[in-house]
Amino acid sequence: MIEVNQISKQVETSEGSLRILDNINLSVQNGETLAIVGASGSGKSTLLGILAGLDLPSSGSVSINGEDITAMDEEGRAAVRAGHVGFVFQSFHLLPGLTALENVALPLELQGVADALRTAEHYLERVGLAARVGHYPRQLSGGEQQRVALARAFACRPTILFADEPTGNLDTGTGGKINDLLFALNEEEGTTLVLVTHEKTLAARCSRTLELQGGRQLDAANTNTAGRGA
Amino acid sequence: MLALKMLWRSWRGGQLGLIFAALVLAVAVVTSVALLAERVERALVSESSVFLAADLVIRSSKPANPEWLQRAAEEGVRTARTVSFASMTYQGDEMHLASVKAVESGYPLRGTLKRSQIPFATEAADIESVSYGPAPGELWVDSRLLPLLSIELGDAIELGDGSFKVSQILIEEPDSGSSFSSMLGARILMNWQDLDQAGVIQPGSRVTYRLLLADGEGFASYVDWLKQQLSIHERVITPDEAQASIASTMDRGRRFLLLAGSIGVVLAGIALALASHHFASGQILQVALLKSWGTSASRVRSLYLQQIILLGTIGSLIGLFVGWSFHQLLISVVREWLPIALPTAGPRPWITGMATGMLCLAGFTLPALWHLPAQSPLAVLRRDTPIKAFNAIVRGFLGVLAVALLLVWYSNNVILALAILLGFALTAASSIGVGLLLLRLGKTYGHWMGSIWRLALSNLWRRKKPSLIQMVGFSGAIALLMIMVVVRTSLIDEWRWQLADDSPNHFIVNVAAYELDGVKQLIDDRKLETAGWYSMVRGRITQLKDLPPEDVVAEGHESLRREINLSWTRDLPEGNSIVDGQWWDDSVPSNSDSQNSDSQSSNLAPVSLEVDIAAELGLKLGDKIRFSVGGLEFDAVITSTRSLNWDNMTPNFYFLFPEGYLEEYPRTHMTSLYVPAEEKLLVNDLLRHYPTLQVVELDKIIDRIRTIVSQVTRGLEMMTLLILGCGILVMFAAVSLSMEERLKESAILRTLGSSRRLILGVQWVEFSTLGLMAGLLAALGAEFAVAMLQRFMFQQEFVWHPWLWLVGPLVGGLLVGILGVAYSRKAVTQPPLQVLNSL
Ligand SMILES: Nc1ncnc2c1ncn2[C@@H]1O[C@H](COP(=O)(O)OP(=O)(O)O)[C@@H](O)[C@H]1O
Ligand SMILES: [Mg+2]
Repeated sequence: MIEVNQISKQVETSEGSLRILDNINLSVQNGETLAIVGASGSGKSTLLGILAGLDLPSSGSVSINGEDITAMDEEGRAAVRAGHVGFVFQSFHLLPGLTALENVALPLELQGVADALRTAEHYLERVGLAARVGHYPRQLSGGEQQRVALARAFACRPTILFADEPTGNLDTGTGGKINDLLFALNEEEGTTLVLVTHEKTLAARCSRTLELQGGRQLDAANTNTAGRGA
Repeated sequence: MLALKMLWRSWRGGQLGLIFAALVLAVAVVTSVALLAERVERALVSESSVFLAADLVIRSSKPANPEWLQRAAEEGVRTARTVSFASMTYQGDEMHLASVKAVESGYPLRGTLKRSQIPFATEAADIESVSYGPAPGELWVDSRLLPLLSIELGDAIELGDGSFKVSQILIEEPDSGSSFSSMLGARILMNWQDLDQAGVIQPGSRVTYRLLLADGEGFASYVDWLKQQLSIHERVITPDEAQASIASTMDRGRRFLLLAGSIGVVLAGIALALASHHFASGQILQVALLKSWGTSASRVRSLYLQQIILLGTIGSLIGLFVGWSFHQLLISVVREWLPIALPTAGPRPWITGMATGMLCLAGFTLPALWHLPAQSPLAVLRRDTPIKAFNAIVRGFLGVLAVALLLVWYSNNVILALAILLGFALTAASSIGVGLLLLRLGKTYGHWMGSIWRLALSNLWRRKKPSLIQMVGFSGAIALLMIMVVVRTSLIDEWRWQLADDSPNHFIVNVAAYELDGVKQLIDDRKLETAGWYSMVRGRITQLKDLPPEDVVAEGHESLRREINLSWTRDLPEGNSIVDGQWWDDSVPSNSDSQNSDSQSSNLAPVSLEVDIAAELGLKLGDKIRFSVGGLEFDAVITSTRSLNWDNMTPNFYFLFPEGYLEEYPRTHMTSLYVPAEEKLLVNDLLRHYPTLQVVELDKIIDRIRTIVSQVTRGLEMMTLLILGCGILVMFAAVSLSMEERLKESAILRTLGSSRRLILGVQWVEFSTLGLMAGLLAALGAEFAVAMLQRFMFQQEFVWHPWLWLVGPLVGGLLVGILGVAYSRKAVTQPPLQVLNSL
């Protein structure tokens, strides 16, 4: 469960102080899916980073499973991430020197999972890339790369998955398939999903939506009446 | 082991290529230079033992104490006794005052004797090297003794009371020495056992005994013990003293090797710094991902630390092997120039090589990676191009610290390390400061130039950070190479006279005034030229400090036993330098004004003494000496002491007076001249016509010096080439630093339809501009470092090197430009998509 309490984010720039996030409140229950929507530059990625403990708010607090991560030190937050959190990024962020299989296996190896490679292979099968395990990222298309990234994120069995515009770099057709895969895996694994997107249709598939505008919450995180599509 | 796995994957992915190559190269260069330097150094040391025919010699006017010999035998120290003296030899009506040396059977302990069956042999095929002297009953003699006594090989001659067979021509003895007195008269080598039969050594005869010592387990402790047994009659001669004439050559040769090796160390450091920078940039994404997955900063660091240790160990071991192979290759290439068999090296070069690898990684690679985990992963992951924000100052400091440690360890010489580091720091600092300014100017004024220039100069400005890093790399490498080339050139220039074929190799001494024309005629007849005539008077010392000399110097001294040469000059002779006191200047009145006045007796003649002889006679400034010249006595007071230059074979005088004190005494004349081997019989002609002449033959010594100097020179050349190659590799590393980004941009320009000319033109202008600026700044740093080195390490005069300021930018621009264009050719020869995909 994620609990966000009045967070704001302010940065100092050469043109003076800039308020990126302004007094955000929300809570996400286990197993829920939350969409954060808004125009480009509205502060979505910044908010996601803070929720995941990769960044700190200027004020306010965030707790994950009852633990206040804003009060922890870097090491503490890292430990929380190691136990609970997975990521998918807009620009995939696969390591170019590793094969698809090794990319998926790396976080498992870090956790000391015994049969990291076998687990990784299993997840690659699940995203439909069984035939491409030995390929390097540069030999894969954008959609395939993002599928590897999905496999990597789910292979660690996170309780919360943060996805920042996972289909932003892909064409509509491919993007749609990635989204289907994301929601399917999420369903199977029972993960809590926080998804940043600027597509209303995608947001509609989540149980709730939070809309940002210029760093402000437009209204309290709504329960999505449209329900979880499909 | 996860670290090993990660390292292997990085290697496979090609990210380790540059850093690994730099590491192997660094270790290989340092190892090969260190191995070579140490082996050459050891060879030089053993070569100088050859000059003594031993590792240590005890010289005395008395025979060696039997107890010393016994103790030496017990300790396993090899010994050989020799004794030298002058003795008349006869055959029929002919006679000659020969310079005889009797040797024990162990002689020579080091080096070899060269003998022949053909008088005046010069062909190597006619000359035989042996490590033993004549058997009892036999004599080995100088070629010129044969015509002097009108004999042939195999004839018997009389020496003292005995008659001995002349069995071999003596071409060269290792310890022929460079002291003039030992070179009078033709050399005869005889066996020690024949001394009694010849009965030449009588109580009171002037002889010099030498006890030669070499190796054995107990050598060092034996020498320590022996030194305590010695009285003032004995003098210890070390290999260094045995060869004053080449000692400074050797010493500078060693220092140069050290300099070259140190420059290799710094170049290796630069290469690794550049490669580490490259490697660290490639690791930013991985570190950010690791952190986003919750890996703690300390775990990330430990993972990288393990990788570095692995990388360092593997790379250094391979580097050691490559370095060893490389030094073998170098040795085999120059084998013919290195006639001396090189001794094997000790452990130090290996340790140095390994330490270079580990310390450079610790100084450059570790700091480059260390701060990565501290970076916000969000900042990396949210942007598409990884950011590069390093704490350059801390890193620079750590890197410099690592190199400084290495330099001091390697060279054991703080001045050397300091000169190189300061020179480099000056270059680097000005590269950053001036470079920024120049880049800015280039960008501002580039607008007025063609499109290629405009694009290139604004690219440089846009990429100013990597551009500056590259510039530090280029200018550092160029500066170091300049330092080496300048020092090498000035050393070789200085040695040129030693390598000259016609430097004087004979001295003719004690020519009376009435003999002068005849001697000149004989020299003219053979179409030889002298290096000018010097006048002097022969005199004896009769009092020291108003006392009989025996009371002052208990044991007596060579210069007290025989006539010495006194000469006069107004100006301090070239190559001499005042150690203590003052040289007479024009204000010191010459004696001529007061010659006939009453005050003459109280008017002491000023005299300048060679510093060592002053010490041996126990004299200091202000002490009085009474000289006797042709029965007339006069007193002199020491006004200065001088050190002489033994490097050049011009006449040196131990006792010098101002003009006007000695001129009325009967004088003799001396000269030096070059006598080629085929005119060697001139010496016989001279001695036959003028038996009182003394001819000092230095031709063999000079040949030896020439050989050694040319060996040292070759060694330096070899080293210079090696380091030059290393420098070019560093520049290569610097060029490849920005290549990925450049290729990407070029490929994009290519997709937009840009011509080959534009793309390569831009690269050419960018790189040659960088190289040009780097060359200019390198000249600054090099000039500074060379000034320091010449002043403090090579004791040379400071001179400007204007050519540096011209050649530096020119070579820098060309070299870097060519390297850069060669590297970026891929961008125009391959389809753009292939280029982009391969990155
Ligand atoms: N460190 C920072 N310094 C200055 N401005 C920032 C910083 N981080 C984010 N911003 C600005 O804050 C705004 C919100 O950014 P972001 O969260 O990336 O928006 P979104 O993801 O919704 O497009 C943008 O205008 C961005 O330029
Ligand atoms: Mg965003």
